[in-house]
Amino acid sequence: MMNPIKNIEINPLKASPSLGAAIFFLGLKNAVVLMHGAVGCASFDKVTLTKHFRENIPIVTTALNEYGAILGGTDFLLSGIKNIYEKMKPDFIGIASSGLTETSGEDIAGIIGDFKEKQGLPFSKLIYAGTPDYKGSLEDGYIQAMLALLEDFSDKEPYKTFKKSKKLTMSVNVFCPVSFTPQDFLELREAIGYFDLKPVMIPDLGLSLDGHLDERGYLQTTADGLGVKDMENIHNSEFNIVIGLSLGSVVKSVSELTGLKTYYFPNVCGLKNSDKLFDLLSELSGKEIPEKYKRQRRQLMDAYLDTHFYFLGKDIALALGIDLLDSFSMIYSEMGANLKVGISTKFSDDIKYRFLNFYEGDLDLLDNYRNVDLIVSNSNAGFYAKDFRIPLLKAGFPLIDEIGHGYKHYILYRGAVNLAVESANLLNKG
Amino acid sequence: MRITAKEEYFDEPACEHNGVAKDKKACKTATPGSSTGGCALDGAYIVLSPIKDALNIVHAPINCLGNSYNQRTSETAQRENYYMYGFTTAINENDLIFGSEDKLRQGIIYVFNRFKPKAVFIYNTCVPALTGEDIEGVSKELAAKLKIPVVPVFSQGFSGNKNLGNKIAGDALFTHIIGRKEPEIDLLSDYNINLIGEYNIKGELFLIKKALKKVGINVLSTITGDSTIEEIMYSHKAGLNVVVCSKALIYLARKMKEKYGLPYIEGSFFGLTSTNKTIMDIVNSIGDYELTCSAKKYIKIRTRNTEENIYEYKRFLTGKKALLYTGGVKSWSLISALNDLGMKVIATGVKKSTEEDKLRIKEIDKNGNIIMLDNGNPVNLIKIAREEQVDIILAGGRNQYTAIKSLIPFLDVNQERLNPYTSYEGMEFLAKQIYFELKNPLFKLLKESNINL
Ligand code: SF4
Repeated sequence: MMNPIKNIEINPLKASPSLGAAIFFLGLKNAVVLMHGAVGCASFDKVTLTKHFRENIPIVTTALNEYGAILGGTDFLLSGIKNIYEKMKPDFIGIASSGLTETSGEDIAGIIGDFKEKQGLPFSKLIYAGTPDYKGSLEDGYIQAMLALLEDFSDKEPYKTFKKSKKLTMSVNVFCPVSFTPQDFLELREAIGYFDLKPVMIPDLGLSLDGHLDERGYLQTTADGLGVKDMENIHNSEFNIVIGLSLGSVVKSVSELTGLKTYYFPNVCGLKNSDKLFDLLSELSGKEIPEKYKRQRRQLMDAYLDTHFYFLGKDIALALGIDLLDSFSMIYSEMGANLKVGISTKFSDDIKYRFLNFYEGDLDLLDNYRNVDLIVSNSNAGFYAKDFRIPLLKAGFPLIDEIGHGYKHYILYRGAVNLAVESANLLNKG
Repeated sequence: MRITAKEEYFDEPACEHNGVAKDKKACKTATPGSSTGGCALDGAYIVLSPIKDALNIVHAPINCLGNSYNQRTSETAQRENYYMYGFTTAINENDLIFGSEDKLRQGIIYVFNRFKPKAVFIYNTCVPALTGEDIEGVSKELAAKLKIPVVPVFSQGFSGNKNLGNKIAGDALFTHIIGRKEPEIDLLSDYNINLIGEYNIKGELFLIKKALKKVGINVLSTITGDSTIEEIMYSHKAGLNVVVCSKALIYLARKMKEKYGLPYIEGSFFGLTSTNKTIMDIVNSIGDYELTCSAKKYIKIRTRNTEENIYEYKRFLTGKKALLYTGGVKSWSLISALNDLGMKVIATGVKKSTEEDKLRIKEIDKNGNIIMLDNGNPVNLIKIAREEQVDIILAGGRNQYTAIKSLIPFLDVNQERLNPYTSYEGMEFLAKQIYFELKNPLFKLLKESNINL
């Protein structure tokens, strides 16, 4: 008989924290990611990210060999840093550790700190995120990198005192979750801009990975994104907006590290939460909500009405990272869809009530839900969907078997329309 | 516990071109701060995962499997699809403190009960290798208990690159699978061969098998495209090993020769010339008069046929310049395929090629016109492509964006290729793809619109 103890991940949903940190670093301008470990980690990550974003991904490795694994990787790390600087002169080198380099117990942060101190000359900004692969998931690594970046820019001199007065536009720091597509970033940036606020997206995967042909052609580093200058000014912003269920735990740190008032949204999806965001922007900027979004709001209400029929009596299974699970289930819940099961990279008491069943686990849990009407998950779930002959709405990470998801967006009013319509069409087909 | 790679992996005594000065460390270490190919785990997984009825369990923290799986395009005829499953023990902090051998054991028992595989491969990776987990012990114990091969694969990434991983996988097959069974007599035709290093990307194996079958050659076992554990177990009973597209698995062929007296040859099915030559090499090794006649006849018909089909493409492609950047065997076998199309190869990447591969290039390129590129740095590729005014870059997916962002036409010839490029049909696909890529007006449009380039 079947052994009840599973003790193994079958088709994991999770990816590792070092990959999350890498994604964060890719949202910095003129940056290179350095994975501190043996060669395979960087290579695997590069392959997946290249396929997911359909962009060149500047990730390199410190290439630890047997000698480095056993006797310590300091030399590898330092020569990696130097080689990158010599070859590419990036503004940022984002360094993520791995299971291997963390197991050997070296003080990586200390080594990098020493290096920075001795480095008098202008050099790339070294941002280090400690991301042992055996602890946490993609979301955690992304957050590690976020905090590391903030810390690096917070121990600066107190910021120039002539702040604000001369500025015509007020800026606001915006922290988005790893689940945002490049288009999500761009949409949010645009929406905030409508209120005459200048958004500083931390990181900015919209500018860096939206897939634009840079006039400089092929580049060795990230073409665009959040720049050093932007970071130097974050303390002059008016306030912070933090979005993402997984970012709930960092709201306090973000607020302390920037010294700014911080507004938090688990997600900005669906009618109610989009309302909240627009109300806040309106209040803080003193500007009215633009016509464009008022219209989109009405369109969403209409789209909910048009599409809700397709959801009646239908069951949906979602297997997504925690931020997207929260976002999508928010929208689906507003429409009254029946969420049979939610599978995620983390457990969350805040959202489990939206689902009949909720697990932290692997994609193989889908095997117990062969009778649902729609699966919402990443490319790796394609095999289950095909096997069970259930339509699959592809979202999340990684999306490696089709092209174009980077242009999709699921936030704000229009994002909810997108999800409602795409889901309804699949349910109608299924 | 085996934590360092066996020294013999680094020897290449099977070199057919004797007297060549060789660099003994076949797997050079990479430079820190550079972008590299995959690790030993990657290489081992590529070799072993196409086996349809075996399970592959990566004993590792979540990264080794979780960050990158389900990405191979190796195909299978039946609906057995274990290779679509990725398994990992997902070692966490607790496991690190208390050890995860037990977790591994229970995990394997669970998947054994559920999937009833014919074998299980356990891949060791950096973290458990460093903490010294005894996966060999677990394998032995479970093999006895479950009565199937449970094979430890010592593929921790810090031991070496993809190439090394190929060898480690070959060694695992040799030690634990090959020779464990005898084939049914009626499976054994007179002309049985094994194909080693063919993973059936985009169904390429099917095309090769089709051609061989027409000639009268039976493929007894493929290592490992579309294969089963059983066929690999009795692969030692073939009359000839044909190693295609994998320098690394020569190691396996050599071991099989030592132990079973099974001869081997190397070949490639990329392009018309290579396909024809490999078929002739096979029949010549078998040395049967009738078979040779049948092969000659078949080759003649197919060659004429293929030439007719690619005539229009070839006319357009003749004289066009290509830059080739791919690994190992393809660094030379694709040159001859492109020459078949009348194209000129300006440069070929040899970073992952052995000395033997380089000799082959020289054999094809008698005048020594081809630049051998040791530095696959994208900036360097673009520089050469521009200087030499190449018309197209053929490389692996990771260079796709290098090329197209620079508005240079591109074709993926590695794992992500969109079409099969082996055998006669493959030649036609290749011709067609390059033709349409070069004919595409898009590049001109974008160049005009992007004045800075
Ligand atoms: S280098 Fe080591 S840790 Fe990284 S993927 Fe390879 S085996 Fe895993």
